[in-house]
Amino acid sequence: MVTKKLLRNPISMLGLIILLGFVILAVFAPWIAPTPERYKDEPYRIPRYGYRATPTPPSSEHPFGLTQGQHDIFYGIVWGTRTAFRVGILVAGISCLIGVVVGSISAYVGGRVDEFLMRVVDIFMSFPFIIAAIVVTSVFGKSLTNVMVALIFFSWMNYARLIRGNILQVKQEEYVMAARASGVSHFKIILRHLLPNSIFPVLIQASMSLGSVVLTVAGLSFLGLGAEPGYADWGQMLSFARNWLMGTPGNPLAYWYVVAYPAAAIVLFVLAWNLIGDAFRDILDPRIQA
Amino acid sequence: MLTYIARRLLLLPVVLFGVSIFIFGVMSFLSPYELVSTYIKSPEELKNQSLDALVEKYGLNDPWHLRYIRWLGNVLHGNLGYSESANMYVLDAIKQRFPASLELALFAVVPVVFGGIWLGVVSAVHHNRLLDHATRIFAIIGWSLPSFVAGILALMFFYGYLGWFPPGRLSAWAHEIIASGGFRQYTGMNTIDAILNWNWPIFWDAVRHLVAPTITLAWLWWAFILRITRSSMLDVLNKDYVTTARAKGLPERLVINRHAKRNAMIPVTTVAGLMVLGLLGGMAITETVFDYKGIGLLTVQGAQQLDYTLVLGTALFYGVLLVIGNLVVDVLYAIIDPRVRLE
Repeated sequence: MVTKKLLRNPISMLGLIILLGFVILAVFAPWIAPTPERYKDEPYRIPRYGYRATPTPPSSEHPFGLTQGQHDIFYGIVWGTRTAFRVGILVAGISCLIGVVVGSISAYVGGRVDEFLMRVVDIFMSFPFIIAAIVVTSVFGKSLTNVMVALIFFSWMNYARLIRGNILQVKQEEYVMAARASGVSHFKIILRHLLPNSIFPVLIQASMSLGSVVLTVAGLSFLGLGAEPGYADWGQMLSFARNWLMGTPGNPLAYWYVVAYPAAAIVLFVLAWNLIGDAFRDILDPRIQA
Repeated sequence: MLTYIARRLLLLPVVLFGVSIFIFGVMSFLSPYELVSTYIKSPEELKNQSLDALVEKYGLNDPWHLRYIRWLGNVLHGNLGYSESANMYVLDAIKQRFPASLELALFAVVPVVFGGIWLGVVSAVHHNRLLDHATRIFAIIGWSLPSFVAGILALMFFYGYLGWFPPGRLSAWAHEIIASGGFRQYTGMNTIDAILNWNWPIFWDAVRHLVAPTITLAWLWWAFILRITRSSMLDVLNKDYVTTARAKGLPERLVINRHAKRNAMIPVTTVAGLMVLGLLGGMAITETVFDYKGIGLLTVQGAQQLDYTLVLGTALFYGVLLVIGNLVVDVLYAIIDPRVRLE
């Protein structure tokens, strides 16, 4: 029913189409933007065609132009799609897993354990993520992996809260009591009875968070704290663009291409997720339909 | 209400303790030699003593609980170490940069709160009509335009193309006047100081530099507050007391303002806490884009140079700010929702 409504709603349809476009880009990256021979071992390094600092405008050879240091923009955008999906899926997946484990323990055991775990959640939630990520990268060094670890560290709490609330409800059901009375192990009760009946909203939330995860990582790369220089990553390509906002005398938008393409990629990606998410909320929230 | 606030105040040390544990935990991954810079009280110490002597002096090889207590004592005395990248004590750097960020935040919060709430109410009243759809599209775009993209586009268009809103905090001539001594810095916030000094050219220059970063910082939260107000307003408009108010013949304006809006504000206040969090984080990106010399840019530049002394110090400061911000939100919440006071 939800899928049908999602497909009938023009707004979410638009989101799905954009997203499909990105999936195609990611899957067929090696054919859309083939890696030059000399970069074969590291396809995620954006190929360079020279070392001049000034960007080169689009040409038939480099359809989106070359950014500062002559990195190919088209190649970076296409392979950056893979980076975006990888980062999003890994971070959302792992933090969802941690959240589900902590949340179900908290709800199932209850009492002091619950109280303690929820205070830990409060503390984690009361710190701005970007600052935490900055702390982590300044101590452990700049890399995409460190940013991802920092993000996972500071985004599992929402899932923990959500699943805890759901399990607390399901816990009172008679079939759970029956399972307990017949001596089923705690682990099995959580895995077989509680989780299947409470995990759905958490999974939706996790998949919807993909857009914002990609955004945050792009933001950190933009600050120069994420991907290593030259790595195919949209945020970093946009940070290259910062030096070229002014254009040349008489032509203020001379370097539009170094800004426009990475910005468009980031905005479209996040827009797609938000369009789907917005439609999802309206479909699932009966209050708004009234 | 006093007991409620007192209970919230009791939570403060718990959260601060958590933040300090996080920062101390991260610090424990650094070697004692790397940690020396976060302890020294003046740069001369490094010149006259060997690193080993300093490690010994500050007890950096002691067991962790001793180090934690000593570090906490240091922090409570305001000693956050000496920053190589800023060339000054971390505490001084924070003192110098914080007014700029506060000024930016104040400029951002006012339009967000008033504009966002007003638009949210209006679009709920016009549910499913043109205005509602327009604000919905506006909100979705707001959510999808990350601040670093929005900031870059704003800078390119308003500065590169039109030449209206330059980056930085002040033009060079205004900097000179401020540094000259004839201009008294009461608060460190340029617009307020300019008014107090009755210096309008500087006031306008400061405002000109504030417009673009303010919009960039506020945009996303504007969209957010708008959506929350709208859905909470829609919810309230279906309530019995609103129907009663209408049935007894109150004019629609009074029904909206007196009965519906006040109750619709309750969920909006809860997300205000989130907004404080978001604005503090957003500051780092916005200030970097616009080269606005506030505490966010300080932290980012520190991190880019791996100056962990500075980053750890500012992070602690952020923690304190957040706790205060959340406390303010909680008190507001208690004022708005009488049910909280009775609990």
